[in-house]
Amino acid sequence: MSLPGWQALHAEYEAAGFTVVTVALDIDPEKARPWIEAAAPNHPSLIDTAHVTNELFGFNNVPMAVWIDETGTLVRPAEGASIEARDTDSPLPDDLPEPVRELITEARRIPDIGAAYHAAVVDWIEKGADSTYALDPEAVIAASHPRERNHAEAAANFELGQHLFGTEGKEAAVPYWREAHRLDPDNWTYKRQAWTLETTPEGEPSDLFQAPTEAYEGSWLHDVRAIGGGQNYITVPEFLR
Amino acid sequence: MIVETPTVDPDHFEQRTGWASKPEGLCKGSMCVPAPEAIAADGTLDVATLAARLDMPLVRDEATGVAALGPESPGHSLTTAVAPELTLPDQHGNPFSLSSLHGRKVLLVAWASW
Repeated sequence: MSLPGWQALHAEYEAAGFTVVTVALDIDPEKARPWIEAAAPNHPSLIDTAHVTNELFGFNNVPMAVWIDETGTLVRPAEGASIEARDTDSPLPDDLPEPVRELITEARRIPDIGAAYHAAVVDWIEKGADSTYALDPEAVIAASHPRERNHAEAAANFELGQHLFGTEGKEAAVPYWREAHRLDPDNWTYKRQAWTLETTPEGEPSDLFQAPTEAYEGSWLHDVRAIGGGQNYITVPEFLR
Repeated sequence: MIVETPTVDPDHFEQRTGWASKPEGLCKGSMCVPAPEAIAADGTLDVATLAARLDMPLVRDEATGVAALGPESPGHSLTTAVAPELTLPDQHGNPFSLSSLHGRKVLLVAWASW
């Protein structure tokens, strides 16, 4: 939830012709609202209840970003984005429950790209098309996420579940979300959106723990370990690999 | 996109998928697929024909009759580097269009409460 960091980037470079647009992939806008109000953004802060931007850009996790130049042309495809350095090495309390310790340990393996990503964005703001980070259209398309038939079918299943969640209730959505997870196991937005609806305690804004549930096969820790660990969790931009 | 009728409005279809209905066919970026049989006399688009011509999966919920049309495949998630026209509600519920930022550099970033 790095909204304050994105807002700060926007505020710093707005006068230089740069705008941050944040998009909340939240089926329930009310879940996103407390975070938005806390960050008090004066950049466009949008709500994407149907995960439309997944389909249009290829987002399959958060945070992920695209860069769009002054002509409305993408100069970077959907990829992992970060704006703040993370705490990856401070000692954990001795009395931390073991499942929480395991989860934090795995999360700390996620590549910490914040500082380098920030520098790349600033380079682009200052140099535009002359920035080494600004790709030409062919390179942007080639570097965008491959979409096979299973990915497309997963998108349709996820959106059908999203629609039925609103009109019929959660029970009607679960079979389609399970199918989306099966078809596109690398899409974390499909999984985390569905898991959080099972695991978030009543009255709480969100649950980042996302422990195993009866409704779905996977859980955050299980599925991250299945891909070889947190180091494989995000799409690291090629200039940071 | 969610479809509840056999035909869809071309403007809505373009808004949601990036595919525009033009005289030369269904077009996205520089790519056009001829599909005269998809376009009805009243200008609406036949969903089943769209799905077949553009290789889009159509998943139907039998209980409600509602269906979802997925994106085209195989290929890449981007078929063009031209940013799609995207309109979403802002935090106040007002529609915001990406095209209103033409002339500025934009970093569009997805996040979530979860």
